[in-house]
Formats: sequence, C-alpha cells, structure tokens
Amino acid sequence: MKKMLVIFSTPPYQNSHTVEMLEAAMVGAVFDFQVSLLFRDQGVWCLQNEQNAVSLGRRTVGKVLQAMPAYDVSAIYACAPSVNAAHLDPSRLKPLPQLLEHSAQAILLAEQHFVLSA
Amino acid sequence: MKFTIAVHGAPYGSFANERALKFCQACVASGHEIVRVFFYHEAVLSGLNSTVPPQDEIDVTQAWADFADTHQTELAVCIANGIKRGVLSDTEQARYDKPSPTLAQPFELVGLGQLIDAMASSDRYVEFPA
Repeated sequence: MKKMLVIFSTPPYQNSHTVEMLEAAMVGAVFDFQVSLLFRDQGVWCLQNEQNAVSLGRRTVGKVLQAMPAYDVSAIYACAPSVNAAHLDPSRLKPLPQLLEHSAQAILLAEQHFVLSA
Repeated sequence: MKFTIAVHGAPYGSFANERALKFCQACVASGHEIVRVFFYHEAVLSGLNSTVPPQDEIDVTQAWADFADTHQTELAVCIANGIKRGVLSDTEQARYDKPSPTLAQPFELVGLGQLIDAMASSDRYVEFPA
C-alpha cells in the first residue's frame, strides 16, 4: 500500500485550499493509499475546536475533518512546536492529533511515497 | 522515470506555471516521462480560454498547449476546483446553463481520481505551489 501524507501549513480560512486538499486526501484513501495528515505552522488552527464558517459562506474545516475517519483517514498529526507557538491547548484539538516534534516529522516524511501540501 | 506534476499557483498571480513548465521540459529532455500535469487550486485558471496576456509576457495557456502537443502530455484540470472558478467545458457550460464554455484546448476537466491514479503509476510526484 502506498503512503501519502498531506501537510497543512496555512490557516483554515485564508483560502479554500484546506478543504480542497482534504478532498484530495479522501480520494487518495478511496484509491487505497494509506493517508496521513500533518498540521503545522498556521495550519494547526484547522484543529481548533468549535469552528463555524457559516458566516463566511464556506464549509467548516472542522466538520470536514470529522468526516475523515469515515474514509479510513485516521492518522492525524500536529507539529508540537507549532501548537505551542499558537498557544492552543492540545487536549482541546479536534480531531485529537498525535503531537510530533521536528525530528519525528522528518521520520514521518521519510516513510512516505508522496507528500502533498496545502 | 515517470513523473506526475501538480500545479497549484495561479497563472500571472504566481510563477508556479513557469516553474512547472521548465521542470517538465527538463524532464522530457532528460528522457523521463510526464504521466499527467494536474492543475489544482488557482492553477485551474491556466486552462481558461479567455486570457489575453501582454505581448511581452508568456501566454501560459498556449505554452502548456504547445508542450502537450509536442510531448503528447495530458493537461488535467480539477473539475471541482475548475467549475467554481469559471473554467467550464462544453458539457459543464450546458449543465449549468452558463453563457459559454471557457476551457482551452487541449485541457480536460477531470476528477481528483485522475490525480491519484497518475500518482499511483508514477515514480515521483512534484508540486508547484504559488
């Protein structure tokens, strides 16, 4: 099974790229890729609890993320230094990610066949 | 070696297309194969048939068309990203009752599965962000 990692580095509502790349992750899983998601830099805000993008007229990233396990995408990681820098409470992130230091992220990337970025 | 190329950056709003095109040209010049070029996010605008760049600037759409014609390469525009940004094939123009089709030849509107399928049969996947 080929491994595919999708990296999210931008804030969830800066543009539509986050949702569009989550769609790519879902299709990858449908094609039997082993898909993982890594949130880092400003992308960790995608995991903020209690999002609501209705007032923006956009899809709520948090809700799309909640649907990922239905596509067998359950390996969700977040950059620990980025979470700390954003002053986010890791226990309140949703879905709950596995926090990775930079060295662990390097290992994760090295294991992948393909890396996509949003 | 087989390559799948994904372009993410807008034409004229970024240099993603120019970088990707140069990379593709270098690949084929070195004997490699481009399985598919996939246009995602704002890069779907590279497939518009209505752009008129200044005479002293690159015509991104035509440059891709020339490359595809020379090397028999498929230029795939994500249909979901494309139609919401106004890139419409004849079929989509009729389906949504819009004034005219806007997809340049030889670009094709395709589903995301075409990106994943190309990746699955490639040795390398290379992205060109904005």
